[in-house]
Amino acid sequence: MQLSKHVPALLDHLIWVILVAVFIFFMTQSPVFLSSTNITNILSAAAILGILVVGQTFVLITGNFDLSTESTLGLAGLIGMFLIVPATAPYWGGGIMLNPYISIVVLLLMGAIVGYIIGALITIGKMNNFIVTLAMLLILRGLIMAFTKGTPISGLGFAPAETYFWLGHKALFEIPGVIKIPVAVVATAAVFVIGHIILNHRRFGRELYAIGGNRQAAIASGIDADARVRQVYVLSGLLAALGGWMLAGRVGSIQANLGEGYIFTVMAAAVIGGISLQGGRGTMLGALGGVLLLSTIDRGLNLMNVNVFWVKVIQGLIIMLAMFIDAQRVRFRSFEKVSQEPAGGQPAASN
Amino acid sequence: MDSASETPVVEMLDIVKVFPGVRALDNVSFTVRRGQIHALLGKNGAGKSTLMHVLTGLYAPDSGTIRIRGTVHENLNTARAKQAGIALVSQHAKYIPGLSIAENVYCGMLPMKAGGFVDWKKMNRDAHEKLSHFGLDLDVTRLMEDTTVAERQMIEIARALFADASVIILDEPTAPLPKHDVAKLFEFVRRQRERGASFIYISHYLEEIFEVADHVTVMRNGAVTGTSAVRDITQQELIRLISGANVERYRRAGGNIGKPVLEIRKLARPGVYSGIDLTLHAGEVVGITGLEGSGPGELARGLFGLEPLGAGDIRLQGKPYSAASPIEALAQGLAYLPRDRHGLGIVAIRSVRDNISLSVLKRLQSLVGLIDGGSERKLAEDYIEALGIKTPSINTAVENLSGGNQQKVVVAKLAATEPRVLVLDEPTQGVDVQAKVDLLRIVDQLSQRGVAVAVVSDELNELMDICDRIVVFYRGRIIREFRKGQDTITTARLLAAIEGEMGEKADATV
Repeated sequence: MQLSKHVPALLDHLIWVILVAVFIFFMTQSPVFLSSTNITNILSAAAILGILVVGQTFVLITGNFDLSTESTLGLAGLIGMFLIVPATAPYWGGGIMLNPYISIVVLLLMGAIVGYIIGALITIGKMNNFIVTLAMLLILRGLIMAFTKGTPISGLGFAPAETYFWLGHKALFEIPGVIKIPVAVVATAAVFVIGHIILNHRRFGRELYAIGGNRQAAIASGIDADARVRQVYVLSGLLAALGGWMLAGRVGSIQANLGEGYIFTVMAAAVIGGISLQGGRGTMLGALGGVLLLSTIDRGLNLMNVNVFWVKVIQGLIIMLAMFIDAQRVRFRSFEKVSQEPAGGQPAASN
Repeated sequence: MDSASETPVVEMLDIVKVFPGVRALDNVSFTVRRGQIHALLGKNGAGKSTLMHVLTGLYAPDSGTIRIRGTVHENLNTARAKQAGIALVSQHAKYIPGLSIAENVYCGMLPMKAGGFVDWKKMNRDAHEKLSHFGLDLDVTRLMEDTTVAERQMIEIARALFADASVIILDEPTAPLPKHDVAKLFEFVRRQRERGASFIYISHYLEEIFEVADHVTVMRNGAVTGTSAVRDITQQELIRLISGANVERYRRAGGNIGKPVLEIRKLARPGVYSGIDLTLHAGEVVGITGLEGSGPGELARGLFGLEPLGAGDIRLQGKPYSAASPIEALAQGLAYLPRDRHGLGIVAIRSVRDNISLSVLKRLQSLVGLIDGGSERKLAEDYIEALGIKTPSINTAVENLSGGNQQKVVVAKLAATEPRVLVLDEPTQGVDVQAKVDLLRIVDQLSQRGVAVAVVSDELNELMDICDRIVVFYRGRIIREFRKGQDTITTARLLAAIEGEMGEKADATV
């Protein structure tokens, strides 16, 4: 009885236990794992993944999907770059050399618009979210390819690009060889904190949980579920664009496949972090745990020189394990319910 | 006496089924003999559907024995029940609209020619032959979607009989039927009985029982209150068995009825209701009752913007009222407690606190747009205390509470919006006796605070206990209105009105 009481709580926070275990494991396997450079690398990778996972978490909590974010990310990175390179640049017939700040505003706006279109197709067009975002994934990726014609391009060497790359490239604080805090890591941390506040302490976030938990009941409680779903996709698109900007800076160049295949990792991190695909359940803290765990494992396996194919297999197994744990969580919840029945069903004498 | 000695087709003995907080079936025994049309009566929530779900294998009983044609079935599931010959023909028969009658009849076992092609000729010929064997002379090449509801039901019954069904459950078959089709269906059912088929007949229309059934069993609160041959029982006795004597009741002393709050004039929705004139006053509790589909539920959902409301003049506190969505309804001060608690009432996986505050989050926000955690907690705690919600904490998921406490959470959510008009749709459905009393007390208290309350229900005793007025719908119209203190209100008179009998005539028969 005592055990069953603590099991659900343990399962809810299992991600952190596993993260620590994984950390210790890699420390024993690789002497450089705990080095400041390596930690910075893990966090930098986690920063971009994290931005997308925050957006995805909002969408998932309403009981929807957004498969398109990796393409939105790619297109945003590309558009931002196109807007700042000069017309004389040897790429895509030349850029338009806008002020980099304007280009950043434009790319973020682009992400928001993509999100709004998706949200409108789902809520107003009554289309299936899976299909709509899958189609958008293909459309945007196709646009990127058509635009770059497959040529990878580097923005390095242009003065405006330095500003553009700031988010993904620069450190906010650095003592060489000792500590380095990239701007991207701080930015993502801020996004997580803001995401957490919105989900838990703002009407908007709380309504998302209700929509994901029981859409009809949410509507009958006076919530504009369709508007919320559109807003959530706007948020997801906006954050994907922010991620694109970040990734462009980190990589330093734009390729047609920027962000390609990322969505699997995003979904995996969210699910591992306890975000329910059915909607209505999950926290930002859990999502953060999922992001850190996947980034750590990815980096650790890399350091151990594990073949990239096996990395894929291991990632797949981790997702399965996460789903297994989630299934156990559901089982324990219903167990809890059954054991409470007599007490709950007993009418009170003193009313 | 001959038929009595024969092995019953269906024999259910001491069936018990418990749901969280409710004993849905309490030692229920039920027997159907060969060639019998056995009516099963009782109000919504009496346990009829649960009993039928046990028989069709959908629910596993907690204890009890089920014998079908003499064989004991211990682990009945839907497939095994079907195999054993239990067939369910629901009000909305399941069929594939775009296929012909013949294809529907043969669905899943189309006759084949060599090479795997469908033998259409054989199929159409055989289908026609089979149906006419049961007295149905139909053009089997017609599309299913072009048939009438009665034809579909008869085809469905015939299909069950081809499959050698021992007993066919007819769940309110006549509710969607026009009068002349009801006669046709009865004629068809009687003819099948002569051939030895057995039926369980579920209906709310009492006069139909005397027209078509041989035997009748009445349920109430999960138990059988009586079973008898139809020729040995009167309508009055049936009514008494259906309503029973209330064990525990909450009686409202009477309220301070104030000014009109909601005024409905000449409201009509084609095919649903028409000529609706209804006024709700501040502090008044008005009961609205009628058969399923006769208008009260539709009106309640329409007022809250969940269904089209239709055309007419509606005013709330003097201002024109219309609601295309619950958001608009709530903004104008009308709140609604849905009949479907799980589908529309609670967000089961979220906490008690989250559910109670759901409709008033805007009000709980501080200047910077953050929800004031302290106020929210206090709101939840105040309602838990005031409504007597039994919960381990405000953070417990609502799915872990009993039905009655879940319902109180929904009421708390509505009350938190501080509505002027509260529309409650079957508020005591699926909750235990004590919670029923509590809920009625809460309704009374809300009305004492000046809320105009409408209770849509067919729990007639409850309506009589707490309502100042009861209006009765019959086929989309308000057929009668009973005022407490002016009219004699009895279950019998209410039931007579519900069944469509007007004024004096109804009184004479009681």
